[in-house]
Amino acid sequence: MVDTAAVRALRSMDLIPYVLQNPGVSIAQLSARFSVTQAQIESDLQLVFMCGLPGYTPYELIDVAFEDGVVSVIDPQVLDKPRKFSSNEIVVIALGLKMLIDINQTNSTALTKLKQLSEKIAKLGSNKSILMAGDVSRVPFFEIISKAISEQRVLNLQYHSLIKDQITERLVLPEKLYFLNGSLYLSALDIDIDSDRVFKVDLIKECRIGERVAPKKVLESSFETTVILDVQKQNRNFIERNSSVITAMQENGDLTRVHLQVSNLEWIKLTVLSNAPGITVVSPELLANAVKQSARDLLALY
Amino acid sequence: MSAQKTERLINLTLALLATKKYLTKSEIFNTVAGYTGSPETMERMFERDKDELRELGIEIEVGGLDPLFEDDQGYLIRSETFQLDSNQFENEELLYLTMAVNLWHDSALQANSKAALLKIQSLSGPIESNSVNLPVIRDAENSKTLTTAFESVEKRFALNFQYKGSERNVQPYGLYIQDGFWYLVANEADAIKSFKLQRIDGRLKKVGKESSFTKPAEFDLATFLTISRSAKKEIAVLRVRKNQGHALRSKYAVTEIDDEWDQMSLEYGFDQEIIQTILWYGSNVLVERPEKLRSDIKLRLKELING
Repeated sequence: MVDTAAVRALRSMDLIPYVLQNPGVSIAQLSARFSVTQAQIESDLQLVFMCGLPGYTPYELIDVAFEDGVVSVIDPQVLDKPRKFSSNEIVVIALGLKMLIDINQTNSTALTKLKQLSEKIAKLGSNKSILMAGDVSRVPFFEIISKAISEQRVLNLQYHSLIKDQITERLVLPEKLYFLNGSLYLSALDIDIDSDRVFKVDLIKECRIGERVAPKKVLESSFETTVILDVQKQNRNFIERNSSVITAMQENGDLTRVHLQVSNLEWIKLTVLSNAPGITVVSPELLANAVKQSARDLLALY
Repeated sequence: MSAQKTERLINLTLALLATKKYLTKSEIFNTVAGYTGSPETMERMFERDKDELRELGIEIEVGGLDPLFEDDQGYLIRSETFQLDSNQFENEELLYLTMAVNLWHDSALQANSKAALLKIQSLSGPIESNSVNLPVIRDAENSKTLTTAFESVEKRFALNFQYKGSERNVQPYGLYIQDGFWYLVANEADAIKSFKLQRIDGRLKKVGKESSFTKPAEFDLATFLTISRSAKKEIAVLRVRKNQGHALRSKYAVTEIDDEWDQMSLEYGFDQEIIQTILWYGSNVLVERPEKLRSDIKLRLKELING
């Protein structure tokens, strides 16, 4: 899509305060930040170079210098500050701050600052039509984990595995944190088994930071099995929640056949059981039989 | 041609931003570079330019000495409506703002996150952010659907889409994110409902014009959410095998029944949810009451075995 003149005018004006605060930024970096081609950035800059305040003497024009693909602003005229946040940008900031507040519950200094900042942002135009419902669950070890990632130090975890339903001791090298379906997850190298694992942060019961280790590239060594399931329409939640491990999907009326790559069959077994009878195992047969056996064992207790 | 127009729009914005007093049209035509041609041509150019800038959210204020005489009217853009103030945020706040927007940079809202980040960096310069490791949000939302939903809520466009096998025509009132999923709150035939965006089949289509409906003044999204979330609660009494069900035990108190079992009671809202939780524990958690849950679970298991 070709930008309209007005869209281009705003982008060109947005370039000025950005370059002013980031002097010596390259055309290539600007192209990446502003999501347009390098040629477009150059022509935008040439354009603003021609613009300025009435009078249009050299003193009243915006003055931009580019040399060897590197840009600086010498005189921004009135464009010395960025444009105000749009309403959607405020939504992104406000919801982001809410999540930061939720995960920093135990860090009282950060919490005070974040709350003040949220109020400040709310004054810029709070949007009462776009909200976050509920809270992110408390993340007591956020700071420690975050520190361990930056300093490449190991963590000793006491982790409550839902699959095994027991607390296990893990020694891990944390890699990154991410939110998925509203929960915070830690992806880390489990050192004892030398394999990447994902931990749900609110199930970490205890967490101690350990020594620094040299970063190393690990070969993914987990064995993955392809599992095929038929999922009924009313259990679509399963598909939505697990889209990251689903490799293929065919819809067929009320049934959706999904192919998944999983390294943990026990997890699949428990999931199928808990969604009974909305998900059926097509293959492997071993899994199908295991699910039925669990259901029989459970039924016998009622 | 288009470059000329872009240039003129920039010059107009700069002039209106720099002026302390309202600029009349004739002042604009005489001083702002780019306005040429007959008075009528310039007039048309100016009206279009003004509309296009307003369309993109720029507030051009109209005022003047005598509001009754249109000729005396002038225009200006107030810096505080156009720009952020450089002293608005302390350095530490800029760091938190960066963290807040960075959360979204892999999500369906990445375009907004990126745009906000550019503005933050236009206040702060590059931020030393390697001292903190930030989580990012991963989602499977369709960013086109989400963007359309945002726009429709803001500008009050009616919407049309396919949902659970039927065609829906709704007036969007709001949006919320819960457990990582986005929901649209909208009025469909005088009933206010929530629609999960991921369940919309195909495209979310805007219908008709902007401001095509009025949202009732008494509607408040936060109140709507509180009411719909505090739906009826029931109590389930469970039997939990000793040394098992640790996740449940960490949330709810138990009393001992015998050497093998403990008892636990918990509140629940939706049958489907509690049944999933209970079944997850297999033979280690059983329902004692209510009978309806017991029979529902037994029925589900039988179907699973015979299925």
